Amino acid sequence: MAARPTILSLKSVRKIFGTLAAVDSINLDIGEGEFFTIVGPSGSGKTTLLRMLAGMEQPTSGDILLRGERINDLPANRRPTCMVFQSLALFPHRTVGENIEFSLKIRGEARDKRKARALELMDLLRLPQAYYGKNVMKCSGGERQRVALARALAYDPQILFFDEPLSAIDYKLRKTLEKELKDIHRETKKTFVYITHSLEEAMVMSDRIGVMREGKLVQVGSPHEIYSAPTTRFVSEFIGDVNVIPVDVAGDGLLKSVSLKDALKGPVPPKGFTSGHLVIRPEFLRFIGKPSEADNSVSGRLYNEYALGSRIQYQVRVGERVFIVEKLRQQMFTGKLDDEVRIGWDAKDSILVTD
Amino acid sequence: MRRLVQLGQGEKSAIPLLLFLLIGFAAPLLAVIWFSFMPARTFSLFAAPSLANYATIFESTSYISFLWSLGLAAVTVILLALICYPVAYGIVRVFGKWAMLLTLLFTIPLFVSENIRLYGWILFLIKNGVLLGSLKSIFGLELESILFTRTAILLGMVYVYLPFMLFPMTLGISMVPSETRDAAFDLGASRWQVFREIELPLSMPGIVIGFLLTFVLAVGAIAEAKVMGGQRIIPITHDIEIAFTYAQNWPLGAALAVLLMLVVGVLVLLALRRFDLDRFLGRR
Amino acid sequence: METKGQRVRHAFITAWALAVIVFLYLPTVCITIASFTASRYFQFPVAKFGLDWWEKTFNSIEIRQLLSTSISIALCVTVIAVTLAFFGALAFARYDWKGRSIYQKLILLPIFFPQSVLGLALLLWFNMLGLQLSWMTAVFAHLVWIVPVVTLVIAIQVYSFDPALEEAAFDLGATRWQVLREVTLPVLFPGLFSGALFAFLLSWGNFPLSLYTTGADTTVPEYLYAKMVAGYTPGVPVLGTVSTIGAAFLLIGGYGLILAMRRARQSATE
Repeated sequence: MAARPTILSLKSVRKIFGTLAAVDSINLDIGEGEFFTIVGPSGSGKTTLLRMLAGMEQPTSGDILLRGERINDLPANRRPTCMVFQSLALFPHRTVGENIEFSLKIRGEARDKRKARALELMDLLRLPQAYYGKNVMKCSGGERQRVALARALAYDPQILFFDEPLSAIDYKLRKTLEKELKDIHRETKKTFVYITHSLEEAMVMSDRIGVMREGKLVQVGSPHEIYSAPTTRFVSEFIGDVNVIPVDVAGDGLLKSVSLKDALKGPVPPKGFTSGHLVIRPEFLRFIGKPSEADNSVSGRLYNEYALGSRIQYQVRVGERVFIVEKLRQQMFTGKLDDEVRIGWDAKDSILVTD
Repeated sequence: MRRLVQLGQGEKSAIPLLLFLLIGFAAPLLAVIWFSFMPARTFSLFAAPSLANYATIFESTSYISFLWSLGLAAVTVILLALICYPVAYGIVRVFGKWAMLLTLLFTIPLFVSENIRLYGWILFLIKNGVLLGSLKSIFGLELESILFTRTAILLGMVYVYLPFMLFPMTLGISMVPSETRDAAFDLGASRWQVFREIELPLSMPGIVIGFLLTFVLAVGAIAEAKVMGGQRIIPITHDIEIAFTYAQNWPLGAALAVLLMLVVGVLVLLALRRFDLDRFLGRR
Repeated sequence: METKGQRVRHAFITAWALAVIVFLYLPTVCITIASFTASRYFQFPVAKFGLDWWEKTFNSIEIRQLLSTSISIALCVTVIAVTLAFFGALAFARYDWKGRSIYQKLILLPIFFPQSVLGLALLLWFNMLGLQLSWMTAVFAHLVWIVPVVTLVIAIQVYSFDPALEEAAFDLGATRWQVLREVTLPVLFPGLFSGALFAFLLSWGNFPLSLYTTGADTTVPEYLYAKMVAGYTPGVPVLGTVSTIGAAFLLIGGYGLILAMRRARQSATE
């Protein structure tokens, strides 16, 4: 990744509510013009973190630096940053135009100048100009999203924050808006900091992703790194269904699993790694005839199959364990339910992670 | 067995209450209106209707009572708005878990007869009462009591109608989504701008209801002027009462009542016309 | 966002609210003090305290008569008002029907109406109908103002009622009556209970409507008013104190009961 100058820097930022550390010692640098996404399940502290960055909460300890300047005590209305809220928080008593122009009016800009800027932004966001005088509550979900984004852009912020703005939108429109947002990011060249609980959403848009768990940042990396080289079981399971096998490192460098008979071949464990999990994504498992056709193999009973659009997922039960295998529809497996099947995978397709 | 007109659940549930209000509210008002056209000092209902009572009123000094009633009510409403807004704001945004208890404390006096509470003020304000008695025994001060003055009437009205402003206002302020305030603040608005641009307009429904309720109640007030003001001011309700009781001139009283109803009715209808009660009460 | 300006503002708001509470309760405190004085006339600082007037008041047959009239009226009003308002609230908030938005505003009108004028209008109306005025006509008069209030109180609860609950019960084979008894009433109970409390207390404390519609019967607020206008009577503070404490007990006890029930239900589901 090309080195960018840092725009926002977090130094051991903590936020304590009562006895609970909602955000626990976060260190992070976000680059100029970057699309950075923080992903985490609900309750992981990501919203609290974002509210501190936007100036709506203050950290209990640690520093937030904007271009090297400490902004901990700068209230939200004086920070050159702006947020798109989960509820969008559009002003229901104002029209589309008045919503977009709000910050310009606050700054005391002239009416015609305000209107020109609003129309310009409406163009950028593909909102029809006729919507300028429309009641904002009469707009559809997608239109409201665009109004909220236009309102934030009108403020001309140095950083834009997004608090899961797409979470309440249906799947198809969400997919469209995700791409649109990435296009807007490209057009405006501004720094975007986005939070979501969906790693899938984060993958589509982000330059870099930070995964949060219980107030801590557990892994930061490019979408590709997060997908193909997760460092913990938590991160590997976050993207979707994966096969996770608890393993111990035996003396000969082989991996021993309590639940499986044979030793497993996998990546070479790093120094000091004694126990953890072997992660295999379902698309890397395949149905085979003989054990010799793959580095590792197990045999079990085909329990059920699920059609997931372009792919088919199979559940194979091996003793107490459940394995999931995914095949493209064109490469559908032809076995019948309750058949004895053998599945296998190669060592290079598995990842070793800590707990 | 199909009935000719199929009534829905809604209509069926509404009918008992509507019938009751027809007999208990609409009919009495119509009776008052009809009576106001009867000749003065009669109890008959079947004389030839005339405008004589209204003519009498416009020639008399009743308009002074009207002006007093409306003026006092207006001042009461303004004072109440100033007193209640910070409290309502606090209940919604500041007091947190104490808000429940405070609401209960503000509710209790509502259920004690206003006479009793006004009487408490007399005991507080009267010569040798709690206030002046304390001042005298502690500081040796001897002051005039404000009891039986216009100030005392105003005090009584503000006191009695306080909850009727406070609760609608609280409801109104609680309707402002806190994220819209955060958003405005985030977009660079100052405290005052957030208040003027977001909070005030969005809580307006509750504020209007509070204004309306307290104004109507204050216009109809009768006990405050008598108990606290010692008849220093004669409100219009007092004129109406006199006409119905001592003067035994029901048609004149009815005509006065009709005029008062007109003022109040126009105000209420204007304010309620474009009001979405579902949103206000159900927060949908 | 705990800034200094905000702390100052919050401190001001808290102080202001406390001052308003003192303002609200000041007269009640004065009445309570007065009820415990032993002398015929009230003077502050009080020279001598005593329970004499409490004794005299409660031994008086007249006062007992007053209390029984007031309670009878309030109980009748409560029962009738809650029944009428329950259906009224369903029409207000539960069902979608054509006349609903007009209906919602119509039933508000009695609330937005000067009560003293309403009392006189009802007096005239009863007279036209040739009705003998008594505590029963007062019940009717109270209802005109109280039913709309109670309807609003119950409607607020109805708004949060999910109609799917009733549909689910129907679907599971319940009759209309069983749905009402097993689902609708229990779920709406807190609203009905609050409505009943409001009805009872508003009727108990009402003066302007009672004044013109009770005829020969007298309620506590009417009696107090008559005595107050006539000059100082030591029985007045006693009755006032009883009235205030009674209202507070009913309210706090009532809401305590609702909270306790809610807590019991929560701990049962855990």
